Amino acid sequence: MVLTIKNLSKRYGSTVALKDVSLALEPGEFFGLLGPNGAGKTTLMSLVAGIRPPDSGEILLAGEKFQHERVEQRLQLGFVPQALALYDELSGEENLRLFGRLYGLRGALLRERVEEGLLAAQLQDRRRDQVKTYSGGMRRRLNVVAAILHRPKLLLCDEPTVGVDPQSRNAIFEFVQKLNDDGMTIVYSTHYMEEATRLCSRIGIIDHGQLLALGTLDELLVQLPFSDQIRLARHETVTAQLGALREFGVMVETEEAFVLTPRSELRLSDFFAATERLGLSYRHIAVTRPTLENVFLHLTGKTLRDA
Amino acid sequence: MRTVLILFGNELRRFLHDKTALSLTFLVPVVLIYIFGHVFGVNEGGGGPTGIPIALVSATDAPVVATITAALQKEKAFKVLTTEKQMDKEVPLTEARVREKMKAGSLRFALIFPPDTQGDESFGLKLKFLHNPRNEIETQTVTGLVQKTIYTSAPQALLLSLQKKGANFIGQENFDQFNHAIASAVAQGFGGDADEIYASLGKGDFGLDADGGGAGPSLFESLIKIDSEQVGGRQVKSSMATRSVGGWAIMFLLFSLSGAATSLFDEKKAGLFQRLLAAPVRRTHILWSKYLFGMFVGMVQLSALFLAGSLLFGIDITTNFGNLLLICLGASMACVSFGMLLAAVSPSSAAASGLGTFLILTMSAIGGAWFPTSFMPEFIQKLSKLTIVYWSLDGFIKVLWANCTTLELLPTLAILAGIAVVVNVFSIWRFNHGQIFE
Repeated sequence: MVLTIKNLSKRYGSTVALKDVSLALEPGEFFGLLGPNGAGKTTLMSLVAGIRPPDSGEILLAGEKFQHERVEQRLQLGFVPQALALYDELSGEENLRLFGRLYGLRGALLRERVEEGLLAAQLQDRRRDQVKTYSGGMRRRLNVVAAILHRPKLLLCDEPTVGVDPQSRNAIFEFVQKLNDDGMTIVYSTHYMEEATRLCSRIGIIDHGQLLALGTLDELLVQLPFSDQIRLARHETVTAQLGALREFGVMVETEEAFVLTPRSELRLSDFFAATERLGLSYRHIAVTRPTLENVFLHLTGKTLRDA
Repeated sequence: MRTVLILFGNELRRFLHDKTALSLTFLVPVVLIYIFGHVFGVNEGGGGPTGIPIALVSATDAPVVATITAALQKEKAFKVLTTEKQMDKEVPLTEARVREKMKAGSLRFALIFPPDTQGDESFGLKLKFLHNPRNEIETQTVTGLVQKTIYTSAPQALLLSLQKKGANFIGQENFDQFNHAIASAVAQGFGGDADEIYASLGKGDFGLDADGGGAGPSLFESLIKIDSEQVGGRQVKSSMATRSVGGWAIMFLLFSLSGAATSLFDEKKAGLFQRLLAAPVRRTHILWSKYLFGMFVGMVQLSALFLAGSLLFGIDITTNFGNLLLICLGASMACVSFGMLLAAVSPSSAAASGLGTFLILTMSAIGGAWFPTSFMPEFIQKLSKLTIVYWSLDGFIKVLWANCTTLELLPTLAILAGIAVVVNVFSIWRFNHGQIFE
């Protein structure tokens, strides 16, 4: 295992930030930690990164006990903080050189890694400009690159796309995906369901400091008491028949549509026969696969957005 | 108008929620006014220096000694010392002992009455005024006050002496007749009681003094000879600048280093500590790097200020250059520790900045950066010894003006290093238990 976490707990005063979290990561995994703000994602990341010690529990890095005071163990890790942790007055190149040197790189290897980093962050042309002159996307890319100059075995990304435009977000996705393809194990925390779905081979759902569920997307979806959802467009014919449609399951109203979670014994053919009788057009009806949002709702009784 | 009032209400609410702004607006000015009021002696009946130690050593039993001693004792500016404690006994001060103390800097002024203070054959006074002018303003003020006191109190003693000389010369009986004749003539010519005038003449009271007798100081200056001698320190080209540059330098250094320390909050806000602490970096690495950088800035800034002082005002920084570097190092260490302390005890950058301004102004005022500490009330003088400014200033004056050796500087260096160590230990403890790295 690259990372093993056993019964990790952390409190801040009377607030329980993390409670008995256990988890193990295989080499090359892309693990997603999904949860709302304040769920304990950043605390878990900071404990694994060695920024602060846990109150109880144990962390093993490649089978070796991770000790907060043994700073050399951190060479195996890379950490992308949620904040844009860069020195604004320095250039992109100077930032990379600094962080590379702190991780023990020097000479030709340092130069080579800095070049690779600038290339990966698409900042070759702006390498000598102060970071404060960079766009948000450029800074985010540099923020990620600064964490991998020493080629860690395990990369911890704490919500690396917060406040990023879609284009830069895609660039970051592609970048971390490539790192993972090259064999780097990645722990990626996010409160965006879409990111976890797109990137992660395994996902842990965390809320109130507790790991509520853990598995691949399919394994998580299987926990739901239903396999499909039916989306009904907000059309007058649908609205007129809402009372009758509610008999087929639980109807939730969203801004875009009505979402019906069917009763477990319901056959889709029976449902479509009924809609035909009610005079609803097939164009207003779509069968969709449930999402992590449904899993979160099922586990916590609230949506990710509301949590 | 409604919009303006809504926004005004918002400003007021935000202000009331900001404890730092509240304390800077109300509490800090009140405390500073209180401190400055005491520094400048607002409550001390008109201000001015108080309790400056001045030693009196007499090698004569001439009556003028008692007269001048009594007059100096009445002057609130002075604390007259005639004895010192040695092995639980009060022993009279000697000139040699006074000179020793003055060279060491523990005493700055002394009035010596030599054996021929008031000679039998001559009319007039001879005194020796020893001074250690480590502070120009203080020395000028004390010299003026000593002269004024002597010129005010000495004439009566001088004329009494003149009476005695006359009596010795022509015999007491003849002299009494002479005085009676003078008293009668004065009473007839100008009015008054002849017996009273006679009694005054016998006591040497001729109605002549420096204030109102019409003789004026110039008369007494010719009769009273005060030999002034500098004990300790050297004769430098720019004495005023040499003695005050250290105070200003240390104040600016404190401001710039406290500003640098508050950068810890900016780095925390930017998440840089998280990144650094996730790398093979300890909290102590971060703190020591800040400390070393502060020391570097301190040394560079002090060097630049003294170099500027040398180029602009002719301050001699080369004669005792090694020791100047040593004291700059000590002062920088203590000042950086102060900056670290600010960051360690403050909850935010704004609070650190406000607290820093308050403490630096207070320390500069009571530590003697602006004004000689001897001009301040006694309890402020005691407080001043708790400040970095006082000891740094002491070190700079010892190096630049008193030309002290490294050995002589050691106590000052030890105190500055001691302040730095104690403050650092506390700051590191606070950093490890506080929120700055969380």
